[in-house]
Amino acid sequence: MIRKLFLIVLMLALLSAFAVSAQDEAQYAGLDMDLSGITIKMANIGGGQYEVMYDAISIFEEATGATVEIVALLDGFAIDQKLKVDFATGAADYDVAWDHTSFVAQYTPFLLPLQDYFSEEELAPFSPAILDAATIGGDLFLIPRHADISPIHYRKDLYEDEAIAAAYMDATGEALTVPTNLEEIDRQARFFVDNGHSTLGYTLAGKEEALTGRFYEMHFASGGSLFDENYEPTFNDDIGVAVAELLAGWYADGVIPSDTTSLLWDGVAQYFCNNDVAIKLEWYGWYAYFQDPDSCAVAGNFGLARGFTGLSVGGDAVRPSGWAGAHAFSVPATAPNPQAGVQLIKFLSSERVAYEEALLGFLPTRGDVWDRIIADASDAENPLDRERLELARIQVGEDFKTPPLIAEWIPFSNIFYPHLQAIILGDVSAQDGLDAAAAETREMMADAGYY
Amino acid sequence: MAANSNSPAQKENQARFAAVNRIEAGFFPFAMISPAVILILLVVGFPLLYSLYVSFTPYELLKPNSLNFTTARALRNYQKLLNDEIFWRSLLNTIIFLAVTVNLSYVISLALSQLLARVTVGQSVLRTLLMVPMMFAPILVGMQFRWFFNANLGLVNNFLISVGLIQEQGQIAWLVDVPLGMITIIIASIWMNIPVMTIILLAGTLSLPSETFEAAEVDGASGWQKFRFITFPLLAPFSYIALTIMSLDIARAFDIVRIMTDGGPARRTEMLWTYITRLAIEDTKFGLGSAMSWITVFLSVLFTLYFFRQLVKARIVQ
Repeated sequence: MIRKLFLIVLMLALLSAFAVSAQDEAQYAGLDMDLSGITIKMANIGGGQYEVMYDAISIFEEATGATVEIVALLDGFAIDQKLKVDFATGAADYDVAWDHTSFVAQYTPFLLPLQDYFSEEELAPFSPAILDAATIGGDLFLIPRHADISPIHYRKDLYEDEAIAAAYMDATGEALTVPTNLEEIDRQARFFVDNGHSTLGYTLAGKEEALTGRFYEMHFASGGSLFDENYEPTFNDDIGVAVAELLAGWYADGVIPSDTTSLLWDGVAQYFCNNDVAIKLEWYGWYAYFQDPDSCAVAGNFGLARGFTGLSVGGDAVRPSGWAGAHAFSVPATAPNPQAGVQLIKFLSSERVAYEEALLGFLPTRGDVWDRIIADASDAENPLDRERLELARIQVGEDFKTPPLIAEWIPFSNIFYPHLQAIILGDVSAQDGLDAAAAETREMMADAGYY
Repeated sequence: MAANSNSPAQKENQARFAAVNRIEAGFFPFAMISPAVILILLVVGFPLLYSLYVSFTPYELLKPNSLNFTTARALRNYQKLLNDEIFWRSLLNTIIFLAVTVNLSYVISLALSQLLARVTVGQSVLRTLLMVPMMFAPILVGMQFRWFFNANLGLVNNFLISVGLIQEQGQIAWLVDVPLGMITIIIASIWMNIPVMTIILLAGTLSLPSETFEAAEVDGASGWQKFRFITFPLLAPFSYIALTIMSLDIARAFDIVRIMTDGGPARRTEMLWTYITRLAIEDTKFGLGSAMSWITVFLSVLFTLYFFRQLVKARIVQ
C-alpha cells in the first residue's frame, strides 16, 4: 500500500514537473494558420551564423503546410542593392524580406505597414526602443530579429600587469583602468603602442557605412549631431573636427592599422582575434569567435565594458556611445501572400526561434528572451558569459541610438566616408575634409527636397 | 510555241518574274537575319535607348515619379557630371588603369607568345597552363589578389617579413597607399588578361609566312632584327585586334576593383565603373548613373574607332 502510494506521488510529481517545464519552455508562434499549398518566398541575409535560424523553417512548413522558398541569401549591403532594384522594377515577388533599421527608411513606399497584422500582445515582448526605430510616420515596417550595439573590448593582460600599470602611472600620473571615454582610450592606446606592449592600440572599420557609423558614434558621444533639426549638416563643427583629427592622429602614429581604410568588420575582428589590439569598440556578435581558442589567440584574454563617452570638447553634452541597429523582417507591398509572410515572420521572431538564435551569440530584441539567456548564463563556467549579457541588456535598453532614420542615410554615407578616409590618410585637413563633405551633403539633401 | 514564248505578254511576264526574283534575292538574306536583328534590337537596342532616355531625367530608383522628362532639366545630369570633380578623377584613374593594363598586358603577352612559338617540347602543357587564369571569374581573381596583398594576413607582406625586408609593425598597406593601390589592381588585371592576348598573338605568330624569315636568315639578320623588322610589323593586325578586344573587355576588371579596393580609399582608385555603381544602385540616382554610362560608352566608341583605323592602316601596309 505504501509502495503504491509512493509510486502515485512520484508520478504526480513527475507530471507536474513536466507540465511546469513545458509551460516554461520558450514557445513558437505563427503556427496557428493552415497555409497548405502556399509557397512563401523570402529574400534573406546569408553567411555564417545568420543562416542557422533558417534551419527552423522546416518546423513552420510541417505545422502550417506552407512551403518556404529562399530566393536570395546575400550579405547586408548586397541585399540592400537587390531590394532597391527589385522595388524599382516591381520584381519584389517575395513575401518576406530581410531589412535593417539603418536601411528601412528608403524602402517605406514599397513595404507593407505591419501594425494591423500584429496584436499589442504579440509586440509587447519587443524592445520599445527598437520598435520605435522600426516605426516611420506612424507605420510599423519592421519586426526585429536581433540587435547590434558595441561594447569596449580590451585585452585583460595589459590591465592586469602591475609593471605596465606602474609605467603608465609614471608616464601619465593616472591609474591604468579600463577606459570610459575617448580621451582615456587615446592616452592608453598610444601608451601601449609606444612602449611595445601591443602592436596596435585601437582598431575600427574604415570604409563604407561602417566608417560613417563609427564617426557618427564618436561624434554623438562627444555631444555632436550629424544634422540639425532642419537637416543641415553639422558634423563639420568643432566636435567633428576633433573626432576626425583624433582618427587622423591615430593613423599617422600607427595606433590603428596601416590598412584601416580597407577594413570592414571581419578585418577588424581579425586584428583583435590575433591579440594585436589593446582596445576597441566592437559588436557583441563576435564574442563566440573571440572566445574560441582554436580560432583566436585573444580567447580568454579579453574583457568587455560599456561603450565610451566622447571627447571633452563637447562639454556637458558628452554621453555614452551607442550606435545601434537591428536586423529585421519586412513584407514587401507587392508580396503575393502577405498574410502567409506575416505568419512566417511571427514564427521567426517568436520567443523560441529568437532564443535559439540568441544562443549563437546574437543579441535578442525580446525581453522574454533576455530573461532566459541571462538565467541560462547564471551558472556559466566563464563569468564573462553572464556579464556580457547583463552589459548588453543595459546598452540595448539605455544607449540604443540609430543613425538618422532618413532615406538619404546611405547616400549621405557614400558622400561622407571617402572624405573621412582622406582625412585619416592625411590627404586633407580635418576641417577642409569635413567642410567639403558638408557642402556635398547639403547639395544632396537639397536635391532630395529637404530645403 | 516558240512564237508564243516570245510574245510581248510573255516577255512582260518574264521581266516581271526576273524583277521579283531580284527583289527576293535581295530580300532573302535580310529575311534570314531578321529574327536575330529583332532579338538584338529588343535585348540590346531597346535598353540602350531607354537608358539614354533615363539619362535625361532625374530618375531615382526608389522614386518612380521621378522618371519624367522635362526640357528644362534634360541636360542637368550631364552638366552635373561635367562639374563633378570625382567624375573627372575617376575618368583619369580609368584612363591610367586602361593604358597601363592594356599596354603592359600586350608587352608581356607578346614576349610570351614569341617564347611559346619556339617551344618544341611540352607545348600543349604550357598552353593549357597559360589558360589557367581564364578559368577564374574576375570576382575570384579579385578575392585572390586581395588576400595576396592584405596588410595583416597577406601572402606578400608575410613573405617580406619572413625574409626580413620589412618589420611586423611596418606592414605595407598595399591596397591603401598611393600608388600601390592602383598597382595591385593593375597586377591582378594583367594576370587575368594575359592568356587571351597571348593566344591571339601566338596564333598570329604561327600564321606568319616562313619564307620571309628564311630570306632574312640568308641575309644574315639577327634574332632581334627578325623580330623588329618582320615579326612585329606582320603581327600588327593581330596586335590591333588583341588591343581592341582587351580595351573593350577591360570593363570586366570592375569585379576586381570592386573586391580589392571598391574605388577607395578616399577615391584613390575610383574608376568610372565603381562610381557608376555607387551613383546608380547604392545612391539610387539612376538618371545620373545612366548619364555617366553614356559618357563611358561614347569614350569607348572613340577608343574602338581609333583602333579599327589603325587596324585598317596596318592591313593596307601589308
